[in-house]
Amino acid sequence: MARTKALPIQIVTGDPRPIGRQIVDAVRMRIATGELEPGAQLPSVRGLAQQLTINPNTVAKAYAELTAEGWLEARQGLGLYVAPPRQRLSAGERDRRMDEAIQAFVHEVVALDYPPERAMARLDKALAVLGRKSA
Amino acid sequence: MTGTAHDGFVIETRGLSKRYGRKIAIDCLDIAIPAGSIHAIVGANGAGKSTLFRILLGFLPATAGEARILGRDSRYLTPSDRERIGFVNEEHTLPGWMTVAEVTAMQRRHYARWSQPAFDEVIGHYNVEATQKVGQLSRGERAGFNLALSLAQRPELLVLDEPTLGLDVVAKRAFLETLMHSNAAEGCTVIYCSHQMEEVERVADNLIILERGALRNMSSPDEFRSRVSHWVADIPFRGPDPRLVPGLLDEQRIDGVYHYLVLDQGEAFVEFLRACGARDVHRLPVSLDRAINGFLSRQHAVPAAA
Repeated sequence: MARTKALPIQIVTGDPRPIGRQIVDAVRMRIATGELEPGAQLPSVRGLAQQLTINPNTVAKAYAELTAEGWLEARQGLGLYVAPPRQRLSAGERDRRMDEAIQAFVHEVVALDYPPERAMARLDKALAVLGRKSA
Repeated sequence: MTGTAHDGFVIETRGLSKRYGRKIAIDCLDIAIPAGSIHAIVGANGAGKSTLFRILLGFLPATAGEARILGRDSRYLTPSDRERIGFVNEEHTLPGWMTVAEVTAMQRRHYARWSQPAFDEVIGHYNVEATQKVGQLSRGERAGFNLALSLAQRPELLVLDEPTLGLDVVAKRAFLETLMHSNAAEGCTVIYCSHQMEEVERVADNLIILERGALRNMSSPDEFRSRVSHWVADIPFRGPDPRLVPGLLDEQRIDGVYHYLVLDQGEAFVEFLRACGARDVHRLPVSLDRAINGFLSRQHAVPAAA
């Protein structure tokens, strides 16, 4: 039986990302890196809100988004669990979003006037965390 | 519950105005705050927040218009209406010469719906002894004691005016935690006035912005944030006249590059910048405090002698 573990995430105020967005990003990252495994239980809405000293409605909205995207699943009366991995998007949509992500990244790199080779090396390192799970 | 706010609004004003001599503190204000959740009210000093509360609580007559709180005209509040409203001000004004136990006993007699478990739950977060004189409590302890007294009253509406002003981080955290997570505060509509954007971002379901006595925003904080955008444009020659920049909140020129903080501008703003000769245009995300501060400091956006 999976037990709830504390979710070791941090949020910061004054960030360009809203708090709810920060929670969604952090949970997805932890699932993507395998730190949160399928079947693991998430803290309750109230529990996480208390841990982060934020409004419970913010956590509830973030959890709803993660559930709608298929990252989490609700078990009746038990709470929220990490859903088994499956491709959540169509191939076309997936490509489209990847293009978007690359475009945004490239624009930032251009704005920073950062040498492409060094950008590649840093990107490689950043993506390595995702490789760990499949290795 | 019987006798709750009519139409589901805890606070409602229509055409509310207040003048002090020639100065207008509240300017024909129409506001309707629905019951439930936490509403943050922000505004620069002198935006009319304190005047609004004084009118709503019946301490001050309005110059014109209507003000209702929990469905009742503010001019005719009865003691039983007041029982349903909790009020915590920044000074945490309590009689310093009485002991904690004496103040508590006094409040318990005043309020028919007094809940001892609620009081005990909240006061448990603070290191306050019943035998201490209120005057001996630290600012944070006094704030906690004040909140405990207000919540024990089991109010339907809790109005907090800058409640964490001058509190250290520990006391502030305890205060916010009680407000958002204690059983005592459950089901209570909270109006939270604060200048501290960090707190507003943590607590608010709804963001109300007052400016010069008028309502300027009423939406979730995220919705408000998405109305404000930050553009960086490389304009080789002179930038456009600030008076012509649509929705301008703030303009800065940093290292020869123009930074614009604008309100309610979509992708069409790119076209505007291009038409002004911009070569490179980027849009940057905006934090909530930058969005609010930009919004409130808009008056200073255009220097008189540009």
